[in-house]
Order: sequence, then C-alpha cells, then structure tokens
Amino acid sequence: MSAAILRVGNCSGFYGDRLSAMREMLEGGDLDVLTGDYLAELTMLILGKDRMKDPTLGYARTFLRQAEDCMGLALEQGVRIVSDAGGLNPASLTEKLREVAGGLGLTPRIAYVHGDDLVDRVDELGLGKPLTANAYLGAFGIAAALRNGADIVVTGRVTDASLVVGPAVAHFGWDREAYDELAGAVVAGHVLECGAHASGGNFSGFRALAPDSTPIGFPLAEIAADGSSVITKHPGTGGAVTIDTVTAQLVYEVQSQTYLGPDVSARLDSIVLSSDDENRIRICGVRGIAPPDQLKVCVNELGGFRNTIEFLLTGMEIDGKADWVRAQMDLALANRPPATVAWTLARTDVDDSTTQEGASCRLRCTVKDEDPAVVGKAFTAPAVELGLASYPGFTLTAPPTPGTPYGIYRPAYVDQATVQHTVVHGDGTTESIPAPTRTTHSGRTGRAAGESPPRRPPTW
Amino acid sequence: MTRRKPLGTFVHARSGDKGGDANIGLWVDQSTKADERIAWLTKFISPDRIKELIPEAAELDVEVYPLPNLGAVNVVIRGLLGDGVAASTRFDPQAKALAEWLRSRHVSITENLL
Repeated sequence: MSAAILRVGNCSGFYGDRLSAMREMLEGGDLDVLTGDYLAELTMLILGKDRMKDPTLGYARTFLRQAEDCMGLALEQGVRIVSDAGGLNPASLTEKLREVAGGLGLTPRIAYVHGDDLVDRVDELGLGKPLTANAYLGAFGIAAALRNGADIVVTGRVTDASLVVGPAVAHFGWDREAYDELAGAVVAGHVLECGAHASGGNFSGFRALAPDSTPIGFPLAEIAADGSSVITKHPGTGGAVTIDTVTAQLVYEVQSQTYLGPDVSARLDSIVLSSDDENRIRICGVRGIAPPDQLKVCVNELGGFRNTIEFLLTGMEIDGKADWVRAQMDLALANRPPATVAWTLARTDVDDSTTQEGASCRLRCTVKDEDPAVVGKAFTAPAVELGLASYPGFTLTAPPTPGTPYGIYRPAYVDQATVQHTVVHGDGTTESIPAPTRTTHSGRTGRAAGESPPRRPPTW
Repeated sequence: MTRRKPLGTFVHARSGDKGGDANIGLWVDQSTKADERIAWLTKFISPDRIKELIPEAAELDVEVYPLPNLGAVNVVIRGLLGDGVAASTRFDPQAKALAEWLRSRHVSITENLL
C-alpha cells in the first residue's frame, strides 16, 4: 500500500449484483482493498428465510462463488477483501471460505466481525418477536481485523459505508474522534456502496454519457489521510464518473442534511465536489460530528402471505370491464376476504392502437393475509373459474401461483453499549470493540423538560 | 415568462426506499446558469409542491432538505411504501422509478433558466 493514498474499490451493491465484478475490479487496475456490499433491508429477510431452512446458511452465497474464483488473484496482488456478505452468519461464511481456500491450496487470513445479530436478545431489548434483528455496526471492528493482518474480512450487518471507512481507519490510524476524516471516508463509502450507481448506472442524465453496451465499471475511491477522496473507475470500463453521477449517489436514500452513522454523523451540506480530470471527481470539505448514542437496528418480522393476479384488459370499455371483474371477485372472496385487497388499474392502453399490446392494460389485484390458504387457491381459483364467464377478452398475464411469505421491515434503536461488537481474528483470538465514548443524545429514550425536541432517528 | 416543461428538463433525480419511506434526491444540471437554477429548485420544491406533483403523497408527511452545496434538494415522503419493500402492494414498491415519474411531470419553469 502506498502511504499517502488508499485505493478502495467496490464490486457489489446488492445480493445479485454482477458476478464477474470482483474479477473485473482485481484485473482492471491497482487496488489496496476491494469491498462488496450484499445486504439490504430486504436481503436480511431473504437470508433469514435461508437460515430457517438450514442453520449453516444465512450468508450471501454469491460472494463465496466470487471468492472461490478470485481469492488466489487477490492474495497474489495483496488486495484485501472486505465484505458484509456474512449477513446473518459470518462465522459460517468464514468456515466455508476456509474450506474453499483449502481446496485451492491457499492459506489466507480470514477474520470476521459479529455482534450485530440481536435475534437472541429480542426479549431483553424489547424488540418483539422478529425473524431477524441486526444492529448496524461501525467501522472499527473491520479496522481491527485489518490491522491484525487479515486478508479477507467478512461481517454481519455493518453500515454500508463502514466497509470503506474500516480500511481507511486501519491504514491512516484515525482515532474515534477524528470526525472530519471519518466523515470524509463515510461519504466516499456512501458513494461506493451501490456499485455502478456512482459511475453512470441508473443516472437520469444517461444520454449525456453516450451510453453504449460496454458494461459500466464499478467505482473506486482514492482516499487521503485527511479523509478527502477522488472517486474514479478503472480505465477502459463503461459509464463515467462525473459530478452528476457522484451527486446522484450522494442524494440516494439519505434522509436529511446529516448522514447519521455509528461512528460519526457526516454533514452532507458540507460536501464540496470538483472535477479533477476525466472520470475523477474529488470530494472534500466534509465535516463530521459525534455519532448518536444509539445504533439503528434492522428488524424484519414475518408479516404474512401475499399473492397477485393480473387481468389483461384490451380495447373498448376498459373501465366497465374492470368494474365487472372486480365485482365478480369481490363476491367470490366475500366469505373470507384476505386482510388486504388492493386493486390498481393503470390505463396504459392507447385508443385505436395498431398493436394488440398497445390496446391493452393490466388490472392488478394484490392480496395479503396471515393465512397462506386465504391468499393461495382460495384467491386464485375464483379468478381462474371466471375464465369463460367474465368480460370479453378475459385473460390472465401469468398462471396462478401459491401465496408467498412477506416480511415487514421496521427500524429500532438500541444504546451503543448494549451491542457486543466483536472481531474473530484469523488465528481464532477475539477482540472486543468498545462503543464510542463521545456521542450525541439521540432523544429516543425519553427526555427531560426543557431539552430540545428529539432529532430524527438515524437514517443510514 | 414561464413555460410548461417537464421538471426533468434540467433537473436530475434519483429515488429509493428506507423501510416504508421514499426518498427523492433532486439536483440541477449545473453546466449552465448554475446559481439561478439552484436558487429556483430550492424555492420551487416544497412539501406542497411534492404533494401536487405526486398526488398519492397528498395525505403523507413530506420533508424537504436543501443541499445547495450539491445543487440539490432532498425529499423524504414518509409512509409512501407502507410496511416497506417486501410488504408493499405499491406498483413500484422500492420507489426506484419514482424520481423518473416526478421528472416527467410538467411544471412552470422561468424561461431564462432553460
């Protein structure tokens, strides 16, 4: 690693992102660290369902495949890999990675970070009866793992930005109160966390980038000791890194002017962007303040079961057709209607269309209920049975399916000190990561008269 | 003089979800008339304007946070996505395309900003 600049890349923005991206990032140019984010609110639920079926699962399986393909290359290049692919089971992922490494004749030092999983403590913490409950940990566990010499670090639920902040803390030796430096790295991490989003993916000004079929390159950040960074991508890759593509990601899924996190709260209104060169955008000026005294917890509960039917409506008298089939369905479901029945009709049909599809629109009925039977055959059979007995042109867009379980996500908050943020190093020793000593009061645990009103809850 | 034009004529946007809330970040193309456009967007986007352009937000809490350093305004619509992505019955449960819809809404834009 060069001392002055740390080059941190990203190869995944979600569970299901481009499988080849890890190899592309390793082969496409120089890096010190390669990160990947695999977890979203919904992903925790998917992993929770995996873990229910098999207690050794609950991690992002695509990461294991990528690691099998790329571990040797990363070790040869000295690129450390840091990923939250451990999901609900970082210990099990670590074990699987060691098996894979053994099969390849490699001996990487693999550490994992845990303590985020609160599902066994929900009674004590008053979190209800969820399927998953994970606190968003900060960056200092990852940093400790890297300082101890880890080649690969896998974590459970850490904030997305921590995957980038951790390596920067390890490299530059920032302390817990280096708020501006930490906040700068948080902003770089937020830009990288959604992969190609920062380099021209899903960008509303896409036509200005002269898009072609070349796959968009994943982003990387060159981080300096003061926390400032340059966002760029490997040469020859598709997409672009411009002030607009970086802004697009900066304003994505943020909730106010302050980006709250477990280690630092970054002031988004302090960010200064400038163009360094082609595909090189500099981020500087970021100010940070002490983090809230509570950690956000991602809680997923099994909500019940859902199902959807789509009726295709074509040509004349669309409203009349929709009204009739709705009335027919309402009558058929009247005995035991699902708890939620939501109808939508989007009038995408065009008058006097020269194509059949253009003359058509979809009437969608989505139902939810705690009883799978109510949204299963009891819901789909009445629709199927209308096949020869309803509006002219009756057809469904897909065959009926059984109901599928769905989750309900809600955020919860716990005091920083209640979480046992722990690193298990490659040699099996463990290291406990203390909570930050300086925090700001987040106001969610009750407040005395005269105090200022509670702030918005953390929003990363 | 004003003209009726899609908001996206010089305003970029990206949207997404946080649980049951939707977020839309809007920012102006700063290649020309940057200061004027930032001032216009900051003034133009208010909770009431969002409720007018996105009628399904009319009964919800809408928050607007200016970020003039980025030429941007951040909008949060509380509860638009119900119980969150997995449970929502909404057409676009993660609000991924909400911003593109908003950009396509026609608004009155002062001519000298175009």
